[in-house]
Amino acid sequence: MTAVSLHHLKAAVASGDTAALIRYVRLHVGDGNEHVGRNEIDKAWVQALTVLLDMPEIDREFVHNTLQTKDPGTLAHLFFSLHFALVRSTGDWIHDGTL
Amino acid sequence: MAPSDHGQQRPGLWETVNERYPGSMISKDDTVPLAPLRRPLSEARLTFVSTAGVQPKGTLPFDVVHPIGDYTFRAVPSDSNPVDLEIHQLKYPTDGANRDLNVIFPIQRLQELCDEGVVGELTESFFSFIGYNMDPDLLERTLAEDIADAVEDQLADLALLSPA
Repeated sequence: MTAVSLHHLKAAVASGDTAALIRYVRLHVGDGNEHVGRNEIDKAWVQALTVLLDMPEIDREFVHNTLQTKDPGTLAHLFFSLHFALVRSTGDWIHDGTL
Repeated sequence: MAPSDHGQQRPGLWETVNERYPGSMISKDDTVPLAPLRRPLSEARLTFVSTAGVQPKGTLPFDVVHPIGDYTFRAVPSDSNPVDLEIHQLKYPTDGANRDLNVIFPIQRLQELCDEGVVGELTESFFSFIGYNMDPDLLERTLAEDIADAVEDQLADLALLSPA
């Protein structure tokens, strides 16, 4: 078996090919469409900002403790999770399936 | 459909996948020959393995957001009612399956085939995972081996494998 998939991404990390990495992220969050993925990333940020504009009550202690105590892998996964959660909360869901 | 030169059953699909997910196309040369069925189907114990992302309600949802994939599986009791199951999967349309799970995870059809005597019996559990996995080595080393062990533990005579 030739393990091309992950090797492709790790090689991009090793060579500093950030364009390949961000393209992969866009493809992942855009269900295989880079342009859609770019829009999805923008959509998540717009949603996060929109929610905060009304200054809702925030559990800052939870956020602080999470960032201080959790390992990098969990936080990176949380970042992806928040992307999809924010996109879903907009009601504009482009994905074929469900979370 | 005849296999292509590189052994894949649906050659056009792989070019499409590799275009959408650069570097995702894999090749595998050390294929394992199919094992012969040792008893008639009507006496055999059948299991079902699916990439549909089907799981019992209340179990930890498959990790569909992880960029490298989820390498776990869920055991699905073979006597389950579809209303007790749910799908967690981003990469294929689930509208039809949410209306009738059998279109992607034919659990009631298999129960019927068993009741009618076409199949001898079903294993206690079926098995499900998600097919979006970017590390084929890890997939083979862990998930595939774990499911194979689980299938053996259930004394299955044959396994029905279905992609989603």
